[in-house]
Amino acid sequence: MSERNSSMPIALDRRNLDTWQDPKATPYVRIERVSKRFGEHHAVEDLSLDIFKGEFFSLLGSSGCGKSTLLRMLAGLEYPTTGRIYIDGVDVTDVPPYSRPVNMMFQSYALFPHMTVAQNIEFGLKQERLGRGERAERVDEMLELLRIAELRRRKPEQLSGGQRQRVALARSLAKHPKLLLLDEPLGALDKRLRENTQFELVNLQERLGITFITVTHDQEEAMTMSTRIAVMDAGQIMQVDTPTAIYEYPSCRFVAEFIGSINQFEGKVVESDGDQLLIETRLGRPMRVRNFHPLALGTPVTVAVRPEKMRLCLDYREDGVNQLRGVVEDIAYLGDVSIYRLRVEGQRVEMTLTNTQPRTEQVLTWDQEVAIEWSPTSAVVLTE
Amino acid sequence: MPAPQDNPPVRRQRLSRVVNIGLPYLWLGVFFLLPLLIVLQISVAEPRLGQPPYTPLWEWLESGVLQIQVNLQNFMLVWEDSIYLIAFLNSLWVALVCTLLCLLIGYPMAYAIATAPQRWRIPLLMLVILPFWTSFLIRVYAWIGILKTNGLLNHLLLALGVIDTPLNILHTQTAVYVGVVYSYLPFMILPLYANLSRLDPTLLEAAADLGCRPLRAFVRVTLPLSLAGIVAGSMLVFIPVVGEFVIPDLLGGPETLMVGKLLWTEFFGNKDWPLAAALAIVLLGLLVVPFVLMQRLERRMEETS
Repeated sequence: MSERNSSMPIALDRRNLDTWQDPKATPYVRIERVSKRFGEHHAVEDLSLDIFKGEFFSLLGSSGCGKSTLLRMLAGLEYPTTGRIYIDGVDVTDVPPYSRPVNMMFQSYALFPHMTVAQNIEFGLKQERLGRGERAERVDEMLELLRIAELRRRKPEQLSGGQRQRVALARSLAKHPKLLLLDEPLGALDKRLRENTQFELVNLQERLGITFITVTHDQEEAMTMSTRIAVMDAGQIMQVDTPTAIYEYPSCRFVAEFIGSINQFEGKVVESDGDQLLIETRLGRPMRVRNFHPLALGTPVTVAVRPEKMRLCLDYREDGVNQLRGVVEDIAYLGDVSIYRLRVEGQRVEMTLTNTQPRTEQVLTWDQEVAIEWSPTSAVVLTE
Repeated sequence: MPAPQDNPPVRRQRLSRVVNIGLPYLWLGVFFLLPLLIVLQISVAEPRLGQPPYTPLWEWLESGVLQIQVNLQNFMLVWEDSIYLIAFLNSLWVALVCTLLCLLIGYPMAYAIATAPQRWRIPLLMLVILPFWTSFLIRVYAWIGILKTNGLLNHLLLALGVIDTPLNILHTQTAVYVGVVYSYLPFMILPLYANLSRLDPTLLEAAADLGCRPLRAFVRVTLPLSLAGIVAGSMLVFIPVVGEFVIPDLLGGPETLMVGKLLWTEFFGNKDWPLAAALAIVLLGLLVVPFVLMQRLERRMEETS
């Protein structure tokens, strides 16, 4: 998965949107020590989170991690067992869904089957008691925005999956909400459509300036679209950061393993020198890692290196730092890149190399002995 | 290329198609169309003493003449004698009132069962179906014991001080309403439950999310989506109630003139089979109209939903 992530255009221009770094900014959505229990099951555990205006925020995690429950609590479809939720400075914890300034796009789309596309979009506007003319105008605006004007008289069952998704999005945007919640917005689409729609969603969000909070289990989706990602597990947030930071500097083993693939070497700190640590690993080889947090000598740590950060080593030395020698066990050819599985003294190490040469002329083959290395700045130290 | 007729699998296929389509039609022909034609034939005959108690449709006279006798007097009588017209109108009225009452009582019950926690649904449905385990006749008789002047209901109301003198309910049209609504309620609840339990609850969440309060969401989403169940339940109640005989006979009084009771009297009391058959044919005609309407409505809903 890692090579997919690195080749993804995650560098969408987000420079003006990093409001979360402004210490004076007040959060648009504030989740304050929220817990939600269903009987014995703790879906969300003492969770706090700030989301800022204009963000495209993703809640990422596997199924059952509590991300959907959190989103439903923001929509008002579930009420927290404890804790408070503020939207735009107002405590909405006990406000019913129909009085909240948010709209949600449901995973199943939940289009009303007895209404046409236009009627579906108009539904929320009717509740607002807008005039007939204004409603028609707003419906036209939405149909145009999502380029579905020709579908206006169709019923949901006459639409394809991609069309339904657009109608659901149009319906949730029709009331011009300041905050849009999206539950697996692309989950029901096939792969190609999903990729196109990802960019469209981002463009839409930037054009409208609405704060988006999406729930997804698809890390690729989260990486492509988000300004920030919260990785969740067992009802708690493991890390909140930009896609780049989540990928390059995971804060714990769970996040490192959840996003992309990663090689892990266990060991302990033997030398701390400025911003660099020297770590003695179980493999017997010393590893040097750049680290900004001082760690006491002897601290057990894990050195984590992404497969694409590895490269072939041309000057292998027996006492070399950040160098390993192993045997090629498996090769997975993916076209643009190949994944090599090496066996290094009983441990499996994964390495990704870009296929700059045609496959027939590749240097590495099965059972070949190979030396690899990486730079101290490409590895991360994990303590938990 | 051999002709497809020569191909044994194709021939087998055609045979199976004939059997598949033919068998249901044969069944309908023998057990529905034929009896209907016999009733139609009796309705245009004249009553007579003997076996069968009506004149035959055709006869070979000794002179070799085939005599076909079609007597439309029965239908004329049904049209001319106001007692039959009143009975028909009253039957339709009773059926209409009872259908509406069943809908008003049955819809909330069906809705409650459909939205109850999963483990409660089957027991609640069982409670709806449970009365069927006792004979229909016995259950209607039980209502006599409840409704009669010194019956359970009056005793209860007197004891509670709600009334001073016993209510006269038994042998009135009210008693018929009570009996019919009681007996036919399950036929309203079951199709409604089947419909409402399939309703996607996220649609109501979506309605709430779009600013719709629960009551409005019910009117704008739940109600239109359960229309098919409402129509099915209403037909299941309305059609049999129009021809209902047992309940008006046991619980009703002289004022409750219903077609089913009249039919019974003509058939067994007056032994006027042709008139009874004519009544049955007219009744059938009256019921076909709402049935066709329902089918048309269903087709339209299939097209739209």
